[in-house]
Amino acid sequence: MKGSLTQSMSWLHTWCGLLLGWMLFAIFLTGTLAVFDKEINWWMQPELSDQALSPAAAANVAQRWLAERHPDETNWNISLPTARAPDLAVSVGERRRGGGGVTHLDPLSGATVEPRETIGGNFFFHFHYTLHLPRTLGVWVVGFAAMAMLVALISGIIIHKKIFKEFFTFRPAKGQRSWLDAHNASAVLLLPFHLMITYTGLAIFFLLYMPAAVNALYDGDRQAYFRDAQSGRAAEQAPRGEGRGSKAVSAPAAPLLPLSEIVGRAEAHYGQGMIGSLAVSNPGRANAQVTARPVLGNRIELSKGEGMVFDGVSGKLIQAPEPSRTSQLTQRVMAGLHFAQFGGYPMRWLYFICGLISCAMIGTGLVLYAVKQRKQAKANAQFLRVVESLNVAVVAGLLLACITLLWANRLLPAELAARQNWELRLFFGVWALSWLHAWLRKPLSAWREQLLAAALLALALPALDLWSAQDTLDVMRLSLLASVASMGLLLGWTVWKIPTVIAARNARSARLDRPAAGASS
Amino acid sequence: MTRSAIQSRSAWPAIAARTALALLGGYAFTYAFTAALARLLPLDPVDAVTAASLLSFVVYLLFMLWAFASASLRRVLVAVGIAIPLAIVGFWPQLMEVLG
Repeated sequence: MKGSLTQSMSWLHTWCGLLLGWMLFAIFLTGTLAVFDKEINWWMQPELSDQALSPAAAANVAQRWLAERHPDETNWNISLPTARAPDLAVSVGERRRGGGGVTHLDPLSGATVEPRETIGGNFFFHFHYTLHLPRTLGVWVVGFAAMAMLVALISGIIIHKKIFKEFFTFRPAKGQRSWLDAHNASAVLLLPFHLMITYTGLAIFFLLYMPAAVNALYDGDRQAYFRDAQSGRAAEQAPRGEGRGSKAVSAPAAPLLPLSEIVGRAEAHYGQGMIGSLAVSNPGRANAQVTARPVLGNRIELSKGEGMVFDGVSGKLIQAPEPSRTSQLTQRVMAGLHFAQFGGYPMRWLYFICGLISCAMIGTGLVLYAVKQRKQAKANAQFLRVVESLNVAVVAGLLLACITLLWANRLLPAELAARQNWELRLFFGVWALSWLHAWLRKPLSAWREQLLAAALLALALPALDLWSAQDTLDVMRLSLLASVASMGLLLGWTVWKIPTVIAARNARSARLDRPAAGASS
Repeated sequence: MTRSAIQSRSAWPAIAARTALALLGGYAFTYAFTAALARLLPLDPVDAVTAASLLSFVVYLLFMLWAFASASLRRVLVAVGIAIPLAIVGFWPQLMEVLG
């Protein structure tokens, strides 16, 4: 590792990028898909339909149903229909949304609906930051990968001296040179995005990754830190209202206000259609309270858990959200920049495309390593084989596994027991098989076959859905099908291009005895 | 560079030592640095904690890059050693309590 700065950084970039690149590609691809997690959720539960009912009216439907079935529960949770998740769901007790015990209601009739169990688009979201490992371990592993991404990005800038000139350089169909150009172009073009998305990802779990300051100033008491952070409201704060517990039962009976009123009042603050959920404590009692929580994304700041608390009987506002203090706001805006919940669909698509380009940068970097090694006579053949098969499995195989998950969602019987586990088994099974396939086949054939399979599955998904459709193809589901089919076209084009590129390369190496030197960065 | 790193087996101990120093030593340094920075920043404790913690990733990143760029391993080792005085600054009250 002796030598110039460029040399040491080049070494670091290669190894850091290669060894963590596989994990990073999986993190970035699932993160890119998670931009549309709710839309994928919606597509994966075709039993639910969009009744276009206003949240206020839906709240009343839920209230009627809950008052009938669960008048004695101390906590009701209602998830209201929103633009991205147009279903109405209720649960009682301490369970949060997405756990067991959620009941879906038809927003018009109030009848219960039983959608198929599915891991949904939430799977991509959870995989993105835990890699399907136990949560804490997964968050640490992904954080480690994020640090490696930063190391690779900065060392990449250092070794990339002609950054401006090469930005305008692309030499297609020229083998290694083209891979390098594609890697550089995708890296430089979106450098601010790559840096932003990686750093803000770390900022989300900042106190978990680096608890030093909390340990020093608060003796490790994170709750004390959060209390201090909200001290602005502590002075006038009413006793925190969510009265979860047994003493609630003692309050005298009193009728609960129609929840549509509460929704109306909360919408006056947050804006039309911005209320995502209601939590009612002690319904039917004099000490009833209703917390209205906004959907994420009425601003850049990630305001998770924030809400307005109302008195459930009089409808009086008990507690309004207060603006965060500056330091807190900084962290929350960083988290918000990562979650991309602001700015509506144009912003979502921008993040999605930027995410795909990040994936392309990581993927081309991985391939570039293999292409370079293949040309070196003294390369370690066994190691190269591991690298090439992992490249195929991680890039093409993961794409294939993701599209398989969509197919599994439609093909597995809707009433299958433990259906989510079968979806997971199929996803990871196909992914594992893709590695086996890549190990047994020649790299180039493996690439082509797996990409072709993914392309065909993506292109055929609309046909499958029309065949198994239950007359529920609304705009959101059709858009998803159209997007998946376009991805299929893109993959198909890639597969179709590979032989041309290979022919061009063979022709050139026949002309030249040795591959061109000087492609070292 | 890449090829020589694979082939010369004698390079492995040095690489392993440097990687360990960069990763673990770098984390220790960053941990102590963040604690000391939060202690010294003339801000409310809440703001100091948030600012220092959010900056810690830059510190760690720069330390790792420098650890791999640095010509001598010993220099990196010395830098990791600076974590001790930084930690004393950061955890001064806790240290006083323990000592007496």
